[in-house]
Amino acid sequence: MTLSHSHSVRSFLGPVRAVIATVIAAASLAPGALAQDATRWGPKESASSFGWRFDDLFMLIVILTGVSFLIMMVMLLVPVFRDKARAGHKASFDHGRSLHDKRFTAIVSVIVFIVLDAWVLVVAMRDLDEGFWNVPGPGEAPNAVRVQVLAQQWAWNFRQPGVDNKFGTPDDILTLNELVVPASAEAEGNEDWFAGRPVVLNLSSKDVIHSLFLPEMRVKRDANPGAINRMWFTPIRPGDYAILCAELCGFAHYQMHGKLRVLSPADFDAWEAEASAMALAAYDENDAGAQWAWDWQE
Amino acid sequence: MTTTTLPLQDRPTETARSRVDSAFGMAIFIGAWSMAFATMFLAYMILRQRQPIWPPDDVVLPSLAVAIGGTLVLLASSFVVHRAVGLARAGRAGFARHWNVALALGLIFAALQTWLWADLWSAGRFAHTGMYETLFYGLTWFHAAHVACGLIALGWVSVGIARKRYGHSSLSVPVNVAVFWHFVDVVWVVLFVTFFLT
Amino acid sequence: MSGEHKGGFLSTYVFSKDHKYIAKQFLWFGLIWLLIGGVMAMMIRWQLANPGEAFPLLGKLFFPRTGGVIDPDAYNMLFSMHGTIMIFLGLTPALIGAWGNWCIPLMIGAPDMIFPLLNTLSFWTVVIGGAVGAYSLFVPLGALEAGWTGYPTLSTTVGTPGSGETLWAIAVFIIGASSIMGGINYITTVVRLRAPGMTWGKLPLTIWGLFFTAVLNVLFLPVIGSAMLLLIFDRVYGTQFYVPATLTSGGGDPILYQHLFWIFGHPEVYILILPAWGIVSDLLSFFARKPAFGYRATVGAMLAVTVLSAVVYGHHMFTTGLSPMLGESFMLLTMIISVPGEILFFNWLHTIWKGSLRLNSAMLFSLGVIFVFGLGGLTGLFLATIATDIFLHDTYFVVGHFHLTMAASALFGAFAGIYFWVPKMYGRLMDERLGKLHFWCTIIPLTTVFCTMFVSGWSGMPRRYADPTSSPYVAELQYLNEITTIAAFILGAAQLIFAFNFIKSCFWGKKAPDNPWEVGTLDWIPAYPVPHGNFATTPTVVTGPHEFSHPALGPDRDWISQTEALPETEGKTA
Repeated sequence: MTLSHSHSVRSFLGPVRAVIATVIAAASLAPGALAQDATRWGPKESASSFGWRFDDLFMLIVILTGVSFLIMMVMLLVPVFRDKARAGHKASFDHGRSLHDKRFTAIVSVIVFIVLDAWVLVVAMRDLDEGFWNVPGPGEAPNAVRVQVLAQQWAWNFRQPGVDNKFGTPDDILTLNELVVPASAEAEGNEDWFAGRPVVLNLSSKDVIHSLFLPEMRVKRDANPGAINRMWFTPIRPGDYAILCAELCGFAHYQMHGKLRVLSPADFDAWEAEASAMALAAYDENDAGAQWAWDWQE
Repeated sequence: MTTTTLPLQDRPTETARSRVDSAFGMAIFIGAWSMAFATMFLAYMILRQRQPIWPPDDVVLPSLAVAIGGTLVLLASSFVVHRAVGLARAGRAGFARHWNVALALGLIFAALQTWLWADLWSAGRFAHTGMYETLFYGLTWFHAAHVACGLIALGWVSVGIARKRYGHSSLSVPVNVAVFWHFVDVVWVVLFVTFFLT
Repeated sequence: MSGEHKGGFLSTYVFSKDHKYIAKQFLWFGLIWLLIGGVMAMMIRWQLANPGEAFPLLGKLFFPRTGGVIDPDAYNMLFSMHGTIMIFLGLTPALIGAWGNWCIPLMIGAPDMIFPLLNTLSFWTVVIGGAVGAYSLFVPLGALEAGWTGYPTLSTTVGTPGSGETLWAIAVFIIGASSIMGGINYITTVVRLRAPGMTWGKLPLTIWGLFFTAVLNVLFLPVIGSAMLLLIFDRVYGTQFYVPATLTSGGGDPILYQHLFWIFGHPEVYILILPAWGIVSDLLSFFARKPAFGYRATVGAMLAVTVLSAVVYGHHMFTTGLSPMLGESFMLLTMIISVPGEILFFNWLHTIWKGSLRLNSAMLFSLGVIFVFGLGGLTGLFLATIATDIFLHDTYFVVGHFHLTMAASALFGAFAGIYFWVPKMYGRLMDERLGKLHFWCTIIPLTTVFCTMFVSGWSGMPRRYADPTSSPYVAELQYLNEITTIAAFILGAAQLIFAFNFIKSCFWGKKAPDNPWEVGTLDWIPAYPVPHGNFATTPTVVTGPHEFSHPALGPDRDWISQTEALPETEGKTA
């Protein structure tokens, strides 16, 4: 018997207990943190017409990968406890290259591909085609609320066309770090993906790459300098939601957050009329910083 | 601590095996460097495809005549180096003379390349001027760095030949330098076609 | 140390051409950088849990201007350099440099690497790269601030003036050159210098892993080299490769960099993980005293991953505006990787099934790779799936995922290698009690750290926030950051056990027998100290590397050297 062998026979549970005790001691420091007022586990409830697609698919993958992981851990722990080296115990001699083993490997691979990959892939493709990447094309959503987003270090500039519904005109509504859009309750669970008033965005950036992240809408899209990206979502409930920057953009990246204000349709119409009128009144054609509208990209 | 030393093969003279070893290593090296140039050409293709007109309207094109001259000189240099190695392998005279001619042709190519840059430079076209200049300078700089390395290696071998360092059975260094030089040549031809003929 | 050279001090201890000495150089170099990168990780975690509070003890030394507080600039530098250091200067040398150099000649029965001078050059090139990287920390305006990925236009002068970023690009270029030299050497050595009888089917799986890594190194490090060069041109000479001319069109393309970076960057993940897979595949068999299950399938799976790694990089770019068809193709290709991945797990788990497990430190870390890579690999499915990746992209979910796969798994592979090969490297055994303590004190907090990150990422916490309490949406997750940080500090402290054990054992440990693990691969044949040239007589290989517990070996012995023929059995089953 060699050294390694006799070592391994000895119980390795001693150190385990020590570590578990340490972890419990450390975790007991955490309640101070846990007792804070506002804490959360998981993302805030989805507030967009297709946000449920992320939640459902995420849970599906949790279950599929969770079961896979459990099977793996059982296969790992059974031999660790059952097949430990000990006097008189000899390993079985098996190269795993019999026809039976090859068939077994192939069958498990096919099962993994079908259950883990193909299933998720089919659901994900459906979700992309009906939700995330189904940005309304020309004429597909005549009621859409159109927004141009210009990111910069470190703020979000939003431009809405105002009552004349044209970009680059004096009545364009410009807002900073706050985007105001209407809720479309009818879009929830609707088979017509563009029911109500979908919000369609054109994104670009003045300087570096930013990424518009609306966690409650379950969407995210990069704002690249030198190009225009498109994204869409339909809010279904009025309320205030988060706007975050998800792409490192320099010093104040962490401060580049804003507010997505979703109003009831009536409130939104009133807001739009008022804001548009105010914008028209305050319009200054010499303000070069405000002249950044581009041709709308469908 | 007392240790013993085993007779490690120092390979004072080359064997058929060691020649294959070094050729194999060189082949992988060339493969790796091809990837570096492929990346450059990928960048070229993507950026060029993004431009509405090519070459851009206001661009000052580098002189085609000089570029053709450079291409011919470099091709000739490559050919002469090949010939030099062939002569050395056969144990015939003229290894040194051919090698030095190839080196001289390489230097002429470097001069012509400098001429191309100087032309653009005097026309006020710098690397930061526009997309055409960005691509032209960027890619030719990268290639020229390899030309410079190749010339240093050619010169090194030239000195080695003068000092009788290589015989017809110990040619690995000149052979590998020649392979690298051919590679530099091939890349230039691709560059030439890319910038001047398409 | 090993072998007397004809040369003097310099050629023996500094510019040695002996692969074993170079392996030690790589190992120590990598470990020192892992320590530096680890301290940076502690600073990052401190800031995330206690934003705006001075870093204890070392804070005043490193951030004198702010009295020890990590300001957002310093924070950006910390995580950017942490990533760069850990990948290029820590794991690459400690895993690929060290074990590539140590294992390849010894395990294939060669006297040395095929190009010893290139080998020396490779090490000293990475030292120069490391020096440039280290220097960049001290230049005005500071080091790299654009993340280890260095996306333009933040990484061009538009976002980061100063020389730190340029020096970083130069350092990555130099380190890349070192890896290419290493790769050329590894491939040529494995192809050309195998001992008689060492057919491809008898190579230890460690060598297969290192071989595929070398192939990826040679193919894809040049890509990052060129991408870095173009970035340097943009920064220094004002070219426009990555800088667009106007707001909406024209000029250069920042997305071009992302393509080039990830064409390299995704294979880089496998560059780091393949040697760990190889080592683990061998060690599980060695310490289960059972042949590696499905040797050919394991090699095939590693080959498949090597090939696939080149065509899946787009999954890093699902939110950049890829065309839907391109995006969905990348999603499918990425998911296909789960099949070779599953075959590897399948074979590992079947290797230990019905074995006779010797649960020493090296084995524990190998089993640890199954655990952490299992966690990391399976969570990859969330990120391969575009519909979930859109939300999870650039959140802490990604951070948890890639740390478990490319960082923790590769690190565990390196640890397993250290516990396994130090007895031949330094002739002394590692302290097993401390080794096991190190394992348990590592894997428990490590799992806590990265699994908590999964939760905070799923809850919507973006990466690279210098102060997560600034935004109300993210501030609600602060308790998760605090748990992660506590676990991370325990994890960091646990590495001191390793440092103590490693130094103590290497120099003052118990003398090791010639073949302490009773395995048959060629690296255990020469006695310590392994002389320059390795083998007194070139070994002739007749047996595979994993013929454990062969029935014909009788009851007293369960292993056989690769140079010994198996006893004849009825029907010639072996």
